[in-house]
Amino acid sequence: MGVTRRTFIRTFTTGLALGATGALTGCAASMRGDFMPKAGKRVVVIGGGWGGATAAKYVRLGDPSIDVVMLEPNKQFISCPFSNLVLSGLRSLDSLTMGYDGLRKQGVKIVHAEAGAIEPDTKRVRVGEGYLQYDRLIVSPGIEFQWEQVEGLPAAKDRVLHAWKAGPQTVELAKQIQSMADGGVFVLTVPPIAYRCPPGPYERICQVAWYLKQNKPKSKVIVLDANQNIVSKTALFRAAWQAYPNIEYRPSSKIVKVDVGTREVATEIGDKVKYDVLNLIPPQRAGSIAVQSDLVGVDKRWCEVDHVTYESAKAKDVHVIGDSTIGLPVPKSGNIANAMGKISASAVVALLNGRPAPQMPPGNTCYSWVSDREAIAVVNSYRIASGKVVQIEQKLTPAQAVSVAQNAVGWAQSIWADVLS
Amino acid sequence: MSRRLLMCAGFAIGVSVAAPAAAGPLDHPGYPKAFSCSACHGFAGNSRSDAMPILAGQHAGYLKKALQDYAGGKRPSAEMEPYAKMAIELGVDDVASYFASQTRMPTASAIDRAAAERGKAASAVCAACHGPTGKGDAAKDMPDITGQPVGFLKNQLLLFKADKRSPGDAALMQPKAIIKGLPDDTLADLAAYYASQR
Repeated sequence: MGVTRRTFIRTFTTGLALGATGALTGCAASMRGDFMPKAGKRVVVIGGGWGGATAAKYVRLGDPSIDVVMLEPNKQFISCPFSNLVLSGLRSLDSLTMGYDGLRKQGVKIVHAEAGAIEPDTKRVRVGEGYLQYDRLIVSPGIEFQWEQVEGLPAAKDRVLHAWKAGPQTVELAKQIQSMADGGVFVLTVPPIAYRCPPGPYERICQVAWYLKQNKPKSKVIVLDANQNIVSKTALFRAAWQAYPNIEYRPSSKIVKVDVGTREVATEIGDKVKYDVLNLIPPQRAGSIAVQSDLVGVDKRWCEVDHVTYESAKAKDVHVIGDSTIGLPVPKSGNIANAMGKISASAVVALLNGRPAPQMPPGNTCYSWVSDREAIAVVNSYRIASGKVVQIEQKLTPAQAVSVAQNAVGWAQSIWADVLS
Repeated sequence: MSRRLLMCAGFAIGVSVAAPAAAGPLDHPGYPKAFSCSACHGFAGNSRSDAMPILAGQHAGYLKKALQDYAGGKRPSAEMEPYAKMAIELGVDDVASYFASQTRMPTASAIDRAAAERGKAASAVCAACHGPTGKGDAAKDMPDITGQPVGFLKNQLLLFKADKRSPGDAALMQPKAIIKGLPDDTLADLAAYYASQR
């Protein structure tokens, strides 16, 4: 009896799976030369965050004949959205930590390693001592910090917490806040725009102020904001802060120096502020791989892209998505990164199959918790006009509400699944 | 070389494991216009959260009406209004037909069986419009409420009761009058009943 097509495929699938497993479990030593030879069409995705994980999944959904390899050093995904609730003790980091098995079920091959360099001319990504060949590359490296912008910070960067990439620092900052004496001063510094998650610092201020009000009523929160005013959801945050007289907000107070010995920060205008617990959110730029591989623009910070395909303005067949991008009128949010993941996936699938990329404008929904039970939201929708993304409308919830917080939980559950399963 | 031969050649060198011929989950013409919705409403409109409604398998006419009502502010929602305007710009019929064509996966949220039984006993007043099990009526733009998340259904009933959903809509005066006559506990039971229906 001859081999039927189905059994042939099944046999071959098993063979591929075993082959892939062999490559994926290999240690760095096995990452030499072309360590996962490309046979058919292949998309490599750099970064397994909101943008990259979504893109990897949706390329597979769009065309399962495309081999998708995702490079992500971390074994687990930790959600930045909702991580401010860890600081107020309302959430555990565990509840925001998810695995990548859902992506594996979609056929995404995950290599837990960092991309070393991008070589657009040869269509290779360097990994360890080897490389991966791609037909199209999707780069979603998130943000990196500009430590050098604050005097004293490069030497103290392991002790001064940003907690701006959810993970161990989030837990450590929560511990510091919990162990601060009643009467202690918590200082939070907001970087100049553009930075990841525009309303994030202000939500964090609410959460820490709420926690201190309940547990350490003599303590206060001093906010040193590099910007002239609250960057996002301004009136709603102002209204929420009415409940927290322990917040002292100082706009136009860009931080330029930190001294961990005297526990003091200094601003551009010469103010010096003593702290008991410091949360310094440094200025930001695109993830390191984007800078090292020269995908950033003249500002050396962010990546310009085509608004329909997300192909880099600097490198052919390389697409950049998520917080690393600039030039679109969209915030650096998880929801936007998720949207860009889907859009870039559709573009890449179409282009690899010889079709034009569809025009898919993104949308953004962004919730912020202003207490233990109430939230606010901003929603933006967009259109594509003459090849550029432009906003149709921005809408804010009329006031903070428990019902908005319920929707926030629903959004989180749905979008985590959209990214990862 | 024929397509089949090409495919075999592909397999022989270990390229591809799936035939590209069949329409995939993203191939519907409405997908590029509706893809944003999955952030809240789940992949293909099958919300897995208790707060967000399932759009998969909903009657297209009802979806279109809901989007138009959101876009025009008739059904107030800060979250939905910008998206509804975008859907209308992109093509509301394509968006509606995308979700209508998806197979509904009933809610994964927990349903209190006793509450569902009580809800069934109280559901006669709803059946006139929504049908005996809540399948609705496509011809009358009456939504299919079967298998929707309990939290979503309960929340909508409370919004109707407080006249916060489509306030002042003459077509909804009668159902709102009925709902206003029911205690909140009964509304929770009705939500459990329709969530349990398939």
